[in-house]
Amino acid sequence: MVQLVPQLLRQQLAELAANDERTDGRSRWQGRDVELEVDILYNAEGSAKVVMGDTIVYVGVKFDTATPYSDRPTSGSLMTGAELRPVAHRKYEPGPPSPASIELGRVVDRGIRESGCMDMESLCIVPGESVWRVMIDLHVLSDGGNIFDACATAAIAALRTATVPAKRFDVGEDFKLELKSTPVMCSFTRVGGRYVYDANEAEELGGDERVHITLGDEGHLHSLQKGLKGVLMPEEFAEILAQAGVRCAELRELIHSKEA
Amino acid sequence: MMGGYGDIKLLNDDGTRLDGRAVDEMRSVEIKAGVLPVADGSAWVKHGLNVAVAAVYGPMEAHPRKIQRQDRAVIDVRYNMAPFSTSDRIRPGFNRRSREISKVTAEALESVVLVERYPRSKIRVEIEILAAEAGTRCVGITAASVALADAGIPMRDMIVGVASGKIEGVVVLDLDKAEDNYGQADLPMGILPNTGEMAFLQMDGDLSIEEYNLACEYNYKAASEIHELMKQALLDSASRGDA
Repeated sequence: MVQLVPQLLRQQLAELAANDERTDGRSRWQGRDVELEVDILYNAEGSAKVVMGDTIVYVGVKFDTATPYSDRPTSGSLMTGAELRPVAHRKYEPGPPSPASIELGRVVDRGIRESGCMDMESLCIVPGESVWRVMIDLHVLSDGGNIFDACATAAIAALRTATVPAKRFDVGEDFKLELKSTPVMCSFTRVGGRYVYDANEAEELGGDERVHITLGDEGHLHSLQKGLKGVLMPEEFAEILAQAGVRCAELRELIHSKEA
Repeated sequence: MMGGYGDIKLLNDDGTRLDGRAVDEMRSVEIKAGVLPVADGSAWVKHGLNVAVAAVYGPMEAHPRKIQRQDRAVIDVRYNMAPFSTSDRIRPGFNRRSREISKVTAEALESVVLVERYPRSKIRVEIEILAAEAGTRCVGITAASVALADAGIPMRDMIVGVASGKIEGVVVLDLDKAEDNYGQADLPMGILPNTGEMAFLQMDGDLSIEEYNLACEYNYKAASEIHELMKQALLDSASRGDA
């Protein structure tokens, strides 16, 4: 059964693609409506919830203090964890983090880290002794497709509204975590032979490879990832990159609209 | 865990608690059913500052086969606290506490779900605590019950998770974080509101028989209040036509 359903679905998706249609009536580059809420979790120092169609994710940001790496004595650190827990879909099994969840956490982490949006030096408490460690946890509650974009959007929104709990750690007054930019991820999946933006659950089940693109404020690339089996041509990448520029700008505007 | 902090003041001079509640007053509770689109049943419960989400998948074939029971379904419960749910981040994954809570919650649910209707199958119940501020096992049980009902799984009754305890020698309903940390007793119960039975029972601390009786009375009163909210959440979800 596991193999049969995707085969029938693939056929249906190919027919839809031939007419430039999608299962939920969207056009090829149209995303689902994105609902974003920030600062919603009582015990997290930064938090956000994103709903995109049947996908629901929560992201929490926590802080603690740590000893800096000896080669970077004044630099704070960032860690991103993702858990694809069995709550999110019947396909997820309990157990240690799966390769899929590790990939999710690392791809979201790279986009944020490599954009340079966080000033790691501003997270120094005592040089060589103590720095802030920022921990982002991606928590998928319902996987209805494209959890990458949902998690990346929630992660940057949670960071941009986070407060460093200095008082609780007895190292001064609480302060807003400073972010210099807003890296945003856009993901594309090959469905019925051509790329679409923001694949839903059926499109992921019956689709092929996916490409994740993180763009910074200036439209520069900060992370790329091709996941799953499949290949693509440079022309195809150019096409989705152009679309990513438009979609990322829209998402960035949404994220900024939630900031006080 | 209980007691040992006798110098912490938890009651105001007028007999109210630090957050202004009366001794027999519950924190505010909000319940929604059918909140997770891909699950077969789901619920969201906010109880004071606690937030729990429960998802139900199944009944489905029980895997691995050794967990199958020829005459009934098994209920596979996972209670999990999100890493960001507490003041200090929790390392992801199971620990002894979450394993024990998962076990007793599963046993409580197995006593109300008509498991004999689904031989050789498994019903998965996933409880995720998104914000924890004392009493999460009870909130999890309430959420799991609503999620099972939302999934259309036949049950004798739902279970309402409630707790009372003792602070500064006074029995109070529904301990908050400070009261849980510095109080003298905690009595969480899973109550079947229609039959009055208990499907879940734990206690720690120090309670006299009289104090236990009063705490129990508070719990039953709170359970009937929460039960109304559970029913309303299911009616609202059914009338929306989703889930």
